Amino acid sequence: MLSALGNPRQAAAQVLNFALVLSTAFMMWKGLSVVADSPSPIVVVLSGSMEPAFQRGDLLFLWNRNLLQETAVGEVVVYNVKDKDIPIVHRVVRKYGTGDEAKLLTKGDNNQADDTELYARGQDFLVRKDIIGSVVAYMPFVGYVTIMLSEHPWLKTVMLGIMGLFAILQRE
Amino acid sequence: MHNSLNRLQSVFGFFTTVAFTLGCLIALTDLWAERTPSGVIKATNTQVVKGRPHYYSSKKEEYAIIKFSLDADLSSLFTWNTKQLFVYVTAEWPAPEAGMNATNEAVIWDSIITNPSADHLVNLGPIGKKKLKASAGGKSIAPERGLLKLKNQKPKYQISHPSGKIASAEDVTLKVHYNVQPWFGLLTWNTQSDIGRWKSFAGGVSDQFSLPAVKVKDDKKKP
Repeated sequence: MLSALGNPRQAAAQVLNFALVLSTAFMMWKGLSVVADSPSPIVVVLSGSMEPAFQRGDLLFLWNRNLLQETAVGEVVVYNVKDKDIPIVHRVVRKYGTGDEAKLLTKGDNNQADDTELYARGQDFLVRKDIIGSVVAYMPFVGYVTIMLSEHPWLKTVMLGIMGLFAILQRE
Repeated sequence: MHNSLNRLQSVFGFFTTVAFTLGCLIALTDLWAERTPSGVIKATNTQVVKGRPHYYSSKKEEYAIIKFSLDADLSSLFTWNTKQLFVYVTAEWPAPEAGMNATNEAVIWDSIITNPSADHLVNLGPIGKKKLKASAGGKSIAPERGLLKLKNQKPKYQISHPSGKIASAEDVTLKVHYNVQPWFGLLTWNTQSDIGRWKSFAGGVSDQFSLPAVKVKDDKKKP
């Protein structure tokens, strides 16, 4: 088990292997980000405001290009409120005007009221640039692990430890 | 080297690959299922009133209340991969102040119709949920829930405009839309044209109409 430590060449290969896995994952994420033109092309649902369509932990794939048509009423979009860094997944229910300056109002399917209360002070509507993508595809439950990790931070340490151990102990 | 941890890792890896592939295959079956949505919508009663956007506001805005009748057949949208159908009716009218072909669009009514396979997720009380589940009669797919018959339906949302003015708006049309939420795969909306076995919405757009002027308050009712 500790032979890897005795052989510096093998140890270096293990470290490089681990770095390769990490950078591959990172580049795939960034590549997807470029293709979808969205800073965060995959998001995990954090709240129940779009139930029953989306539950907590479901995975959503976003697309942020308007190739065929503009972002329209009825699309489910992910937006960031001005000066806040919490992405929200809700449906566009009103659109006044056309183009980049069109005023958009959103609402969660499971909420009684629209999102006016959620927006920043003095912000009555969203515009296109507040939106970081429209939901195009859906995968249930897969993202729940990230919710677990953020709610129980010690899991993160444990998982990183296990991953590192695996990478070091694993032999070609 | 084959220790138990290694084996566990490859079993888990294989499981995720199989699950993902199976999911994609299920999502692909959507393309084989024929979709023939159709519907007739008509505005039955329109009214414009003045009101406040919220309780503490001093600003008065005009709100349009559009009642409508809808007769739609969306039953073909229910398949084994349908989790819910989100049906919504929008009012659309031109926005000359924002540009040549600019429009305003607002949802006036919507409805979440779950497939029985998703009934347990619905946001209803225990009694409502029980009723909903019983209405499926043990089936997991219920196309009959896609048959909508609404007569002189009150809108869920009274619509306004950022300028506060909506009375006497012209060339207003109502349109029926759907959004199919799958258990796995792509979300789909009305198609602009026929795509393979998916037909575009037959009908589903009302005749153009104009909104009336602001309704004058009945003085006799006011103390």
